[in-house]
Amino acid sequence: MLDVYLQTLLSGLAVGGVYALIALGFSITFTTTKTLNFAQGEFISFGAFIGVTMLLLLSGLASTTTAVPSEAASAWRYPAAVIGAGAVAGFMGILIFLLAVKPFAGKGGMNWVMSTLGFGVMLQSLGLAIWGPAPVMVPSPLGDNVLRIAGAGVRPQELLVLACAILIMVALDLVMRRSRIGKAMMAVAHSPQTASLMGINVNLVMIGAFALSSGLAGVAGVLIAPIASASLFMGMGFALKAFSGAIIGGLNNPRGCIYGGFILGVLESGIGLWQAQWREIVVFGLIILVLAFRPAGLFGQAAVDKV
Amino acid sequence: MTPQSKALNAALLCSALAFSSAAYAQEIKIGFNGDLSASPSAQSGQAGVLGIQAAIDDINAAGGVLGRKLTLVVRDDLSQPPKSIQNMSDLIDNEKVVAVLGPTNSGNALAWKHIPNQKKNPSIGCIGSATDITKPMSASADNYMYRVSMVDRAQVAGLIAYAKSNPKTKNVGFLVETTGYGQGGLKDLQELAEAKGLKPIATEKFGVNDTDMTSQLNKLKAAGVDTVLVWAQGTPIGQLVRSMEKINYFPVTLTSWSSDNASFYDTAGKNLAEKPVFMRTITEDRTPKQQQLYDRLAPKMTSKSAFSFAAHCYDALMITAAAIKQAGGTEGAKMREALENLQAPVEGIMKTYTKPFSATEHEALTASDYRWTVWKDGRLVSYTDDVVKALKPSDFTQ
Repeated sequence: MLDVYLQTLLSGLAVGGVYALIALGFSITFTTTKTLNFAQGEFISFGAFIGVTMLLLLSGLASTTTAVPSEAASAWRYPAAVIGAGAVAGFMGILIFLLAVKPFAGKGGMNWVMSTLGFGVMLQSLGLAIWGPAPVMVPSPLGDNVLRIAGAGVRPQELLVLACAILIMVALDLVMRRSRIGKAMMAVAHSPQTASLMGINVNLVMIGAFALSSGLAGVAGVLIAPIASASLFMGMGFALKAFSGAIIGGLNNPRGCIYGGFILGVLESGIGLWQAQWREIVVFGLIILVLAFRPAGLFGQAAVDKV
Repeated sequence: MTPQSKALNAALLCSALAFSSAAYAQEIKIGFNGDLSASPSAQSGQAGVLGIQAAIDDINAAGGVLGRKLTLVVRDDLSQPPKSIQNMSDLIDNEKVVAVLGPTNSGNALAWKHIPNQKKNPSIGCIGSATDITKPMSASADNYMYRVSMVDRAQVAGLIAYAKSNPKTKNVGFLVETTGYGQGGLKDLQELAEAKGLKPIATEKFGVNDTDMTSQLNKLKAAGVDTVLVWAQGTPIGQLVRSMEKINYFPVTLTSWSSDNASFYDTAGKNLAEKPVFMRTITEDRTPKQQQLYDRLAPKMTSKSAFSFAAHCYDALMITAAAIKQAGGTEGAKMREALENLQAPVEGIMKTYTKPFSATEHEALTASDYRWTVWKDGRLVSYTDDVVKALKPSDFTQ
């Protein structure tokens, strides 16, 4: 029975790592600009296909219509594709900020909700025109053999996602808390006007936040692709779950978002042991409970409005 | 404008109209309405259109029907029911097509099946497999919905028959996805299992986008299930066999025909893809006629496994043409009568159809036309074992 619980925990952490990575992206834009990029899901899908294209270009191998040959992901090519997808998605993030968020940011109203959603639809249509609707299986650079840990099975790529999520989380945490850029971002998050008076280029910080958040989505896309297979429809589901994780953990706390993502993954997998069809009801029921009793999330600090 | 020039203009306009409607009447328009671009199943729609166009080319090369050429009017429904409904009215009312083939997604056919029935315009499905598509709107009503494709309930009957006849099967479990497709399959599974006296000891569900089903499988394993009947789309079945490997649990796995998708094969990987057994209408052990059409369409086909839809749709068009010929025209009610009582056999890709439809039977392909199939070395091949050999047509009754 122990191996069943271990399997549940491992499977949950593997999925949770994906949620955590994307949840972090939501948190970064929210803390700096008080807006969210609702096209995050499309950025994940788009990033995955940028990765697919790069793997094929770098290896010079032809793809069948539905799968990338496994040699294409070997050696340095996969990391290069991850970085490339992150860079392209980051650039698209600058675009979405300038075109769809900046004109409306700080003006009250919810125009940016519609404009970022719309940007996502445009991105998806563009992707469909370039790559078509079929899902494409992406090979893992670490191979596909199941690893056994005390009777529980896990794929190398799932461990890779987990490791990357933790690594990126720790690195960002350090940057946010120790470096001048991180302090500038926290200052902008606290009060853009004050930050501006202190000589911080608020606009640049906001652009940076969107580039970083979208870049993370692109990276997540390439990392998930060998697990879920790259598809222009894959991002939406992950983004919704990641957003839920961010709400549970606390949108204004990057660390909390990560914990929220992991909690959600393990919770889902645990509910599967009981009654899988109740999963969504339990997950979203929990979100309502969290919002009702701890509006800032389980790990968020309640904002104190000083009059 | 002088009165004369006005009259002249009117005369010119009249003759132009008369001319264009004469040219119009010479061609018989057939419609296709289905997803060609928006969902993973779009590849099936694209293959279907290739098949219809090939059949139209063949008929036109042989002089057309009733001395008139056939043309195809294609509408993409982006897999959205509202768009599909709108396409249906557009094709029938504006384009004046005499019959509509498609759609790609079963749900869309269910959303508009009242339209062909109200407008008395036959619809011949050649892709979607939901059982209810060809059911009449009410018990005694004229029914304009026909199909040349797989039918979910007939597949379910096959899977149940296999599980029931397999001497090694002691405990059966059902595993379905939580979409409409999975739930429809579960309903058929439960009804037919009960009718055949087969009792599942566990039923589990998973999401269509899930990447890990180990929790559900661990429950089945703990319950001692040795045969699972799976109803889901290609990608999640691929994830399912991958999860089976994680916990090293491989029960006999009988699945819906979605395991024939390239997306299943790519997700599962070469070795795990060989686990499930399922039914489909064509394997890669093709008949000469099938091979001929395959060679003709292969360069244009985006997915090899979608070829079955090209073949179904080719045959659907051939049967439609035969009905127009027998009816001596394109009036809907007469075409329906002809479809339900075709005198001459129709040479198709799947088989030769002798009276494919009747007033009560609207399925041209039935369980005896299906093949047991598995993946072997990246090819879809016919599957047989002692259980399959012992199955009789009477075991497939629904």
